[in-house]
Amino acid sequence: MKAMNRQKLISVSTVLAVASLVATAIPAHAAHVGVSRSQIKLGMTLPMTGAASLGYNKIPGAAKAYFDYLNANGGVNGRKITLIVKDDRYVPTEAVARTNELILKDKVMALLAPLGTANVKAVASSVNPARRGVPVLFINTGFSGFADIKKYPTTYTILPSYVMEAKIMGEYIKENFAGKKIGLLYQDDDFGIDALAGFKTAGVNFAVTVGYASGSQSAAAAAGWITKFKAAKADVVILFAVSSATSAMLGTAAVLKYAPQWMLGSVGGDATTIKLTGVPAGVLYNAIGFSSVPATTDLNDEYIKLFSDLYAKAVPGSPFDLNVLLGMNSAFMTAQALKAAGANPKRKSLMAAIDSKGATFASSALVPTGYSKTSHVGLTGYWVGKYSPTGDLAPIGGTYVTYTTDSGTGAVVKSTYKRPAMPAKGLPN
Amino acid sequence: MHKSKNSKHIGLFIFFGFLLFLLGNQVDELRVYQGASVAVYVIAISSLILLTGYSGQVSLGHGALMAVGAYSAAVARNELHMPIVLTFFVAVITTAIAGALLGSAAARLSGPYLAGTTLALAIGLPSLANQFEVLGGEQGISFDVGYPPQRLGDDFTQYKWFFWIAALTALISMWLLSNILRSRYGRNWRAGRSNEVAAQLSGINTARSKILAFTLSAGIAGLAGALLSMTIGTVSPSAFPLALSFSLLAGAVLSGVSTLSGVMIGAVTLVAIPEIADVVAHRIGSSENVTTNLPGLIVSVLLILTVLFVPNGPVEQHHARAAKRAVNKKS
Repeated sequence: MKAMNRQKLISVSTVLAVASLVATAIPAHAAHVGVSRSQIKLGMTLPMTGAASLGYNKIPGAAKAYFDYLNANGGVNGRKITLIVKDDRYVPTEAVARTNELILKDKVMALLAPLGTANVKAVASSVNPARRGVPVLFINTGFSGFADIKKYPTTYTILPSYVMEAKIMGEYIKENFAGKKIGLLYQDDDFGIDALAGFKTAGVNFAVTVGYASGSQSAAAAAGWITKFKAAKADVVILFAVSSATSAMLGTAAVLKYAPQWMLGSVGGDATTIKLTGVPAGVLYNAIGFSSVPATTDLNDEYIKLFSDLYAKAVPGSPFDLNVLLGMNSAFMTAQALKAAGANPKRKSLMAAIDSKGATFASSALVPTGYSKTSHVGLTGYWVGKYSPTGDLAPIGGTYVTYTTDSGTGAVVKSTYKRPAMPAKGLPN
Repeated sequence: MHKSKNSKHIGLFIFFGFLLFLLGNQVDELRVYQGASVAVYVIAISSLILLTGYSGQVSLGHGALMAVGAYSAAVARNELHMPIVLTFFVAVITTAIAGALLGSAAARLSGPYLAGTTLALAIGLPSLANQFEVLGGEQGISFDVGYPPQRLGDDFTQYKWFFWIAALTALISMWLLSNILRSRYGRNWRAGRSNEVAAQLSGINTARSKILAFTLSAGIAGLAGALLSMTIGTVSPSAFPLALSFSLLAGAVLSGVSTLSGVMIGAVTLVAIPEIADVVAHRIGSSENVTTNLPGLIVSVLLILTVLFVPNGPVEQHHARAAKRAVNKKS
């Protein structure tokens, strides 16, 4: 009996050791990595579990909902899209390990929509998709540094940068709140530093700025911030913060009956996520907000109609929110890029397709993208809206007025961009 | 007696190093990368085994000490442009100093109080990086050890370079550590752990002995932190979450917390689990919810099985059984 136990023990240890070292038999450089006659493999890592997964863990389900629809309608040139999703728990070490698995073991053609500045940076540095020629499509971070095409030649951003957002906010303030006292709450790290740079370029003079360290936000901290804004008699208070800080601030302000004109950054202004923190969406009422895509409740919009229908069928009972819309939109743009990459897409031709035709891809967004041979910048602007009592952002005056700009010193302009009609059935043509 | 034992050990480590060298040339890039991760975990877990198994102190904050090592190595590299070998020394020394400070406080605490203090460290310390511009905030700073030397050939990948550095460092530190543990210091630690009063009566300054253990353990954890950040090319607060400290503890329990010789088991398990979970999830065709929670479940089950069946770890258990059999045979 004892001998058997020991034997078992030895065999378990051996299996564990061998499991980590078994070499995969597939050749390292297949002709078209990730593309076979019948399928195209794409990979995604993002937080599926852990504290940071809230909201973001809906993105894979959203992307898969679109790809399933696409596959049911013939895929891309007969090839079905397989999306392999791995959990990185929002930890860079995990993101690197999982991305290595995706590229070296699963042999995906491209990475899709990875999330988080620190994670994308660690993957760029260690896995080095640029050196391997692996496309990193439509990353979910607004850090402006990823637009550096020399440093990240295979990376394509999708969200407008925090600098762009701050510049557009600045322009809106100039047009509508000239002479008013402006206050700013910002996160005291790169997220906030990008924002401060944008406000500086826009020439906004603040009566008061309050920085907070990431993780320090709470109702008690918010009460302290409010004292500062009150003391400075701020008429307009900008919350350029994450959802938890935004909801702490709005929730505490409602209790203290402090009601300046709120202006919310797009990162923290998602009503669904704010509701998840336990604060009623009503606190958002009348705040000014910014978005690149249509309101998720706007069922008159053809994309919202199609995407919300597909999502409801694929993931019944899960609310259709901003994360879902962005996930489906990225999947939709990926499908067009694959289609544009030719009958036999390769990594290189995929990137070349986005460089040459990406700016003309159909998308639910109401602002243009900036893709070209010299730029991998995605969406370039926002429309301005006000929140309804139920926390839905709707355009001021009923029509979408959009602004576009860049992450540098370029001017903020009212955009004349007309979104192209959705291709038939929302499939790439 | 000691000398011959030491040289035997050196021979063993050199032989093991040669094996790793051969293995590194046989397997593909992913396995080489995982090998580097295993080496990093070997160092990190052994620092915890030294602290808990030998000197009887608990730490839930070793992830934070790894962060100290990682940041100091990266700053030494980026700001002072030190050669890579020196940055690892900087990591060890800086973290050892931090460990000495912490150890001074820790020597006065025990049990849950010590656990609480180190837990607070694990939660608080990494986010301190947000306060200093030189540490790069939430997105962190790069830690680039550079490409492998040209003379190793064009096929020599970056990950193989990481593997060489990490594996060599692991071998050297394991050799040093196993020698220290067999020295007077190791015996003092064990004496203090078994019965503090008895140890004091036999002339051991247990407070000093504990601080020394904490200092050494921290230094080794710092080295592991620097190597970990080498494998991901960057250092950021989110790379050292509370979960890392708990993973190390789980690794130490799986390895057998009272002996260094099982450390590979814990390290390999931590690296292999996500992949094993992936395979299992595929086999049973489970839902996404199951797939994402499976790694946590596997670690928990393994921990329970270890505590139930091999509480001192598989290697220690094996030794105990062998010794018992030998005694039985003699009688």
